[in-house]
Amino acid sequence: MAQLLDIVTTAAILYAVAAGLLIVFGVMKIINFAHGGFLTIGGYSALIVTWLGWNPWWSLPFALAIGMVCGAIVERLVMRPLYARPLDAILATWGLGIVVGQLITLEFGREVQFVRSPISGAMSILGESYSQYRLMLVMLAVALALGMGLVLNGTALGLRTRAVIMNENLARGLGINSGLVRFATFSIGSGLAALAGALITPLSSVDPNMGVPWLVNAFMLVLVSGMSLVSLAASCLVLGGAQVLVSTYGNPVAGGLTIVVLSALLLRFRPQGFARE
Amino acid sequence: MSKAPERAAALPAVLRAGAGRRVDARALVVGSALALVLVVVGPWILPDFMVNNLIRAFLYAAVALTVDVLWGYTGVLTFGQSAFFGIGVYAVGLIFTHLGFGVEHALLAFGAAVAGAVVAALLVGWLAFYHGASPLYASVVTLVLPIVVTQLLYSGGTFTGSSSGLSGFDSFSLELDGWFRIAGVYLIAITAATWLFVKSDAGRVLVAIRENEPRCEYLGLDISRIKIGLLAVSAVVASIAGYAFAGVQMVVAPEYAGFVFGTELVIWVALGGRGTLIGPVIGTLLIDVSTAYLSGNLPFLWKLVIGMAFVLVILAAPEGVGPLAGRLLRGRRDRAAGLVPDLRPIAGSGVTEPVDAAAALEVRGVRKRFGSLLVLDGIDFTARRGELLSLVGPNGAGKTTLLRCIADGGERSAGDIAVNGRSIERRPPHRCVGLGVGRKFQNANTFDALTVAESIRIARARVERPSLWFRAAGLDLPQAALRVMQATGLDQQLGTRVRHLSHGQKQALELAMVLSLEPSVLLLDEPTAGLTKPERTLIGQILVDLARGHGLCIVLVEHDLDFVREISSRVIVLHQGRIVLDGTVAEVVDSETVRTIYSGVRA
Repeated sequence: MAQLLDIVTTAAILYAVAAGLLIVFGVMKIINFAHGGFLTIGGYSALIVTWLGWNPWWSLPFALAIGMVCGAIVERLVMRPLYARPLDAILATWGLGIVVGQLITLEFGREVQFVRSPISGAMSILGESYSQYRLMLVMLAVALALGMGLVLNGTALGLRTRAVIMNENLARGLGINSGLVRFATFSIGSGLAALAGALITPLSSVDPNMGVPWLVNAFMLVLVSGMSLVSLAASCLVLGGAQVLVSTYGNPVAGGLTIVVLSALLLRFRPQGFARE
Repeated sequence: MSKAPERAAALPAVLRAGAGRRVDARALVVGSALALVLVVVGPWILPDFMVNNLIRAFLYAAVALTVDVLWGYTGVLTFGQSAFFGIGVYAVGLIFTHLGFGVEHALLAFGAAVAGAVVAALLVGWLAFYHGASPLYASVVTLVLPIVVTQLLYSGGTFTGSSSGLSGFDSFSLELDGWFRIAGVYLIAITAATWLFVKSDAGRVLVAIRENEPRCEYLGLDISRIKIGLLAVSAVVASIAGYAFAGVQMVVAPEYAGFVFGTELVIWVALGGRGTLIGPVIGTLLIDVSTAYLSGNLPFLWKLVIGMAFVLVILAAPEGVGPLAGRLLRGRRDRAAGLVPDLRPIAGSGVTEPVDAAAALEVRGVRKRFGSLLVLDGIDFTARRGELLSLVGPNGAGKTTLLRCIADGGERSAGDIAVNGRSIERRPPHRCVGLGVGRKFQNANTFDALTVAESIRIARARVERPSLWFRAAGLDLPQAALRVMQATGLDQQLGTRVRHLSHGQKQALELAMVLSLEPSVLLLDEPTAGLTKPERTLIGQILVDLARGHGLCIVLVEHDLDFVREISSRVIVLHQGRIVLDGTVAEVVDSETVRTIYSGVRA
């Protein structure tokens, strides 16, 4: 039973971490390797909230806001010239991740630091005593998924975004300002990354390179999911679940590799991954 | 100066003939000699700390060169060369730690380094370079490799030393001076060999793959095999560098196989100048040595500077700092590839005498669907040698799709296609070329960065294996290809880069490239679009000649009904994915059906 909870909560965390990367990839067809840097920015936003002595819940909107602002700046300065060069965009965003990591190191130091968790302790569920915070993450991830689905399917911006995802040239021909859609997407994607960074820090700790290990997993999940939020949820459950099982019954190192290796093999034999088509 | 000819005469014969090659070869010989002198003298004049750092930098630079060949020249962005370096490092660390040092163990470790790298490269290549793999997927696999290797090292417990690695093992009893010279000579040798390779005819194939991979596939090149082979060789080069590295440092750690090191290599290459050789070497040496000096005082700031420089270079000068500086110093100069080969027509066009009865192309019940949309349905026809068959029909009728199904066995959803009596089964495009299919694309589909002569040689690469070391002085060309080139003046522009050609000339060049394959079934998608009236008449004559005189089976997609009427021996009308008419020109072009279909769409 605890295992089932582990699987669900792991999938929820992965979903939160990968969601921002997915929408950027979906709209821009660009893999944002600075995603790890934005996760780190979110983690340090939470740290600042802890230092200021605010209620830890504030770290979530605070991280989201800082991430969105940073994302907006980065989109204007770095991403815009690279839309036509997707492989170069990988490199530039990776370089950006290095820059973010070093700036944070210069400001906050290299050492591992800890933030206060908004809720702590365990609660009893399905006859198991389980971390309340992890359970809350599941609810937050579900809320996030519903919120993103609602925005995409229920608002004018969402409609335009879907049009750009499906056929950017046509969308532009129909008078949609795809530059604005890209700008909004990148900003929101970065905000979501920072939010995810703030969400995962109470589970572990904060250090200048905390984003990198998450980045690779999130990246693989996005490739496997294609462009759909639903298939992202499916791949988080399946691959996250496999990770939990391999870690429990195999060994933790193999568990750490599960998502990466399974995704690479899956894409080899089924290039569209979990997406239909 | 007057001695130059004698010096050139002393060069190996392969390097001599042709003006362009001699200049290259002289630069190579002089450059290598200078570098060798520096490497020999270096340890006597440099401080020990510098010598030590340069040994490492030399070996890193050799690995960076492999990244450059894969990424800068071939277009495969790789983060995984560190893993191969790590395999060499750990071959030494593991064997010297657990078996002890000795001559036989040193050889064993060398064998393990090479074999391990080859096996890993074949595995990665099989994953990353399958037919139809996206460039992004290939990069992802190269990213996964170092992650997997380091995790395996972490989990190896005391055997691999886990995260702290292995140290304190005995190694070669060699002074730093000796290692400096070994590493230096290794780097010079690798650089020189790479220089010869990338400037050879085979090296042009790499650039062609980078520029336009699909065109290469339809010219019959087995891209997967080329890339896997290239990866294997570059893996061995990196692994040997790792072997030397561990031999001199006597410390091994998982970081040397890691993903971060893999990305650093890419950064050095990008800063130095991808697609050049000296750029990445100098870039690696400068950055790695500066890092050693600066990381003591301002470790984070230095890394920040490198990161910012990297982002800036990718944004503003993607070709890298080296080429940028060169351009600023010399002014922009598009150096045409010095050597222009002589065209040599070869007898016959590969196809034997016309055999009217033989079916060159059989299409049986071919169907193609995209999701729920049926684009081709029940296409049945047989075309004989010597036939010039035109496919006409309005836009969206499925003409181009049909050509694609004939040229790529993986395309059709159902049905059978046979070329010269052999089913194409599910063969990928390059193997369909082997059956005799040649396909010209709808828009001029060429290699912009190559010259006319180089493009033709790529097209001949399937028949005549290009040299790995030099550029051949002659270029054998089937009569038909030569005629197309002469008719359009391309034979006078062999040294011109394709990007400077007019649209019509690009069309003609692509046609000449396809004819260089000596196909027996020629698929042409609007071959005369963008040509002038006289050019188009000439091409028409050549096509008629190829069909009648050489027995080629030509399938032509064409909108210009006048052109169709002039040259075709048979016309098939496609409409909404089905054949609605199949007959002679007179029967089809003037029929009521064709007029209705066309006026219905075009009016």
